[in-house]
Amino acid sequence: MTRSVRAPLGLVLLLLSPPLWAADPAKDELDTCLSCHGDKSLEKKLPGGEVARLHVDRAAFEKSVHGAKLGCTGCHPGYQEIPHPDHPAKDLAAFTASFRETCRSCHFANYTKALDSVHFAALSAGNTAAPFCVDCHGAHDITKPNEPRTRISDTCSSCHSVEAEQYARSVHGKALAETNNPDVPVCTDCHRSHAIADARTEAWRLKSPETCGGCHTDIARMGKYGLSTNVYRSYLDDFHGRSASLYSGQKKAPQRVVAVCIDCHGVHDIARVDEAGSKVLEKNLQATCAKCHPGAPPNFPAAWLSHYEPSPKRAPLVWATALFYKILIPVMIGGLALQVLLHLWRVVVNR
Amino acid sequence: MLLFTVLAVTGFPQKFYEARWAGVVVNAIGGLDRVRYLHRVAGILFSVATVFHIMAVTTLALMRRTGMTMVPTRRDFTDAIQQIGWYLGLAREPAMFGRFDYRQKFEYWGMLIGSLVMVVTGLILYLPLPFTRVFPGELIPVARVAHSNEGLMAFLVIITWHIYNAHLSPDVFPFDTCIFTGRISRERMHHEHPLELARLTGEPADPPSAHGPDSGGSAPPAAAGNA
Repeated sequence: MTRSVRAPLGLVLLLLSPPLWAADPAKDELDTCLSCHGDKSLEKKLPGGEVARLHVDRAAFEKSVHGAKLGCTGCHPGYQEIPHPDHPAKDLAAFTASFRETCRSCHFANYTKALDSVHFAALSAGNTAAPFCVDCHGAHDITKPNEPRTRISDTCSSCHSVEAEQYARSVHGKALAETNNPDVPVCTDCHRSHAIADARTEAWRLKSPETCGGCHTDIARMGKYGLSTNVYRSYLDDFHGRSASLYSGQKKAPQRVVAVCIDCHGVHDIARVDEAGSKVLEKNLQATCAKCHPGAPPNFPAAWLSHYEPSPKRAPLVWATALFYKILIPVMIGGLALQVLLHLWRVVVNR
Repeated sequence: MLLFTVLAVTGFPQKFYEARWAGVVVNAIGGLDRVRYLHRVAGILFSVATVFHIMAVTTLALMRRTGMTMVPTRRDFTDAIQQIGWYLGLAREPAMFGRFDYRQKFEYWGMLIGSLVMVVTGLILYLPLPFTRVFPGELIPVARVAHSNEGLMAFLVIITWHIYNAHLSPDVFPFDTCIFTGRISRERMHHEHPLELARLTGEPADPPSAHGPDSGGSAPPAAAGNA
């Protein structure tokens, strides 16, 4: 009974829905809006004195990722009426901000992550120069932000030019620019793209071994360049690494600075370890150590084994000491435990 | 014992930094900075105590105010072999010990040498800059490896050997008071240090036949001097 009723109902609904060959409503809307906004000179003077340019480039919009999917009012609800109601924004920043929420309705996850970013914190603190969605992605001309991959650092460089220049000269930046190498990190690989944390905090510094370790422990990726994946483990096993590890796990803020990857290797200006300018080159190492250990004598850098595992060739004394205890401890404790057990056994036997 | 505990509690989280409990201990104490501060204060006090002990013993020995009873002799090695043989049923009698038996001497010298290793390597790690003005830098990781392992070994020796011999062993359970009071019962004295008893009383030593109370169980305690 119910079944026989449902089938014709579905048929009716299908017949009532607009036919697939009808004109695209989004395109109709675009045509309507562009009849005014296609005018390159269309602008509006805001009460603060700034001028909002209201022209939309049709070609750029149609090429954008949204071009074939969205009409205008999808992002600009409340503008169906013509003429539009007056916009309350006093300046451009407020004008842009008034459309911010529109991204959220589709891009909820990234929007929420961006709320945790240092950029949003700056915005909230009143810094209107801090970027949010459209400042990095563009507005009507949004295309894939990572095509080509160099575009990412270009995007960041529009504000962070000093860092971008340093990066361009670094081992990572050069490989990216010269060969579009997919293995080297761009800005967002270390800093994240939406949940960009404040890189000036101690927590960020202490996290950097993990950040670098993400790639530098990847055997397949490092193998291509003959790089050791032991750098992370050997760092952790030394004094700095274990301190950083314990510091990052504790609730209280650390009182002392402990060296992490970037303190010796540099941050945006990381060089190849065998490059003349490298901070970790043997002849530069004393100066690098002295940044934290003022007055470090010439013998001091040798205290750091340069990520090498102690072996009979490298740091033989360290290797021998470790081996000595590796043998002594089990022999000693095993021997003593055995004697305790023998003593107990004798007591029991003699009872 | 207090210093040893403080040093172990503040030292092991630094050795086993990746273990979950290391973080728990560090947070319970109030951060790595405080852990290191306590470790260094306790380490300095421990070093002072060690140096003081060595100086005191050396002075007393030079002034002939104390006997050389703690010095290991050839007899200790034969005692050890005989004692272990007796445990295994290979020797007929247990070894007869003097004032200190080989196990006590072993623990004392082990502790003394271990302490010296800890003091020296600890100071190297505490003052790496002055140290490398004179010595090669590679000795710093050597000191770190030695300090870390020697500390672990000391801890393990304490929990197996010392806790057993001074607390859990059926001979002394629950607590060997002799180290504090300097007093030991004649029966235990006869049982554990028959040669020293013979030396004190002037009677000939006879070997303790077995563990457990001897026949003259109610003998009064004999003063054995300060250990």
